Amino acid sequence: MGYVHDTAMSQFIPPTAMMGVTGTFTQAAGAVTGTIAFHRAAAAQTSVITIPVVLPSNSSALKGAYLKSIEVDYENLLAAATSVTFALNKVTRGADTAVAVVSAVTVTQSLTAAAGAETQDQHKCTVTLTTPEWIDNDVYYLLTMTIVAGATVTNDVLAAVANYTLRL
Amino acid sequence: MGYVQDTHMSQYIPPTLFHCVTGTWTNAAGAVTGTIAKHVAAADQTAVVNIPILLPSNSSALKGAYLKSIEVDFEILIAACDAVDAVINKVTRGADTAVAVVAAQAFSYDTGHDTAAERDDLDQHLMTLTLTTPIWIDNDVYVLVELTLDQALTTTIDLLGAVANFDLKV
Repeated sequence: MGYVHDTAMSQFIPPTAMMGVTGTFTQAAGAVTGTIAFHRAAAAQTSVITIPVVLPSNSSALKGAYLKSIEVDYENLLAAATSVTFALNKVTRGADTAVAVVSAVTVTQSLTAAAGAETQDQHKCTVTLTTPEWIDNDVYYLLTMTIVAGATVTNDVLAAVANYTLRL
Repeated sequence: MGYVQDTHMSQYIPPTLFHCVTGTWTNAAGAVTGTIAKHVAAADQTAVVNIPILLPSNSSALKGAYLKSIEVDFEILIAACDAVDAVINKVTRGADTAVAVVAAQAFSYDTGHDTAAERDDLDQHLMTLTLTTPIWIDNDVYVLVELTLDQALTTTIDLLGAVANFDLKV
């Protein structure tokens, strides 16, 4: 019944879906009026923000969403960070009574962690899967953003956008 | 332009979107490194968690998403709960000046969770709630899965996520 193969699909992932570990995180207005952000307060620490990649999946092989890249819009404010590094984890859900299994997905980031991504500025960093993946209904993907911060820098993560091919 | 009826669609719903009432809830790393969870601290209490089912809807009859089942991944840690129960609520949005209307939907638990003792035990859980009559998601409605978690004094719970299974007709 029908056929769709669209290679230009994208999905906005709001900052309200993000999770921060290590640090003080709040939902806050963005620096530009009308935007929203996931805000990390200043502190010398290594913080990890996890971004769930919320895409449709499909139990049929080679159908549904074919994840290719994820763009992250963020701002390093008041000072530069030491580094900002992205990693992508594929989580295979556990069957009932079993734990989930996590495996790292090979990616490259458009901004170098400590030579571009960390500067005091507005950033859009594209994280590209070396080998794009079809999202099965038994898996999901979590993008981690590790911020090694000095005492002064604060961070606003404005959004992420997942780029994928949709085949139905 | 085209016609799609795909009966194998699923949608992951992260724990960061869950709505948790009663208890001390935090966003935390999951028990397995690399996972994330909505975590409730130990206390003898009954917490209520609502999971918003994020699916596309459609204002045309018999089009859009046809919700069939919802799977919830969670872990009961340290000690069993006293009870774990689910409800699927269909919320019809209120018109301007009118309240929303909630209607509980008939469903069945999977065979591993169709007794109280199976739902509340100390373990990793993948609990499937299957609607007795699947529903088309009209643009005027949304669906919430409500979990009632009756914790024992030392019980903690990690909610890892949910997956909605649906047909897509567009």
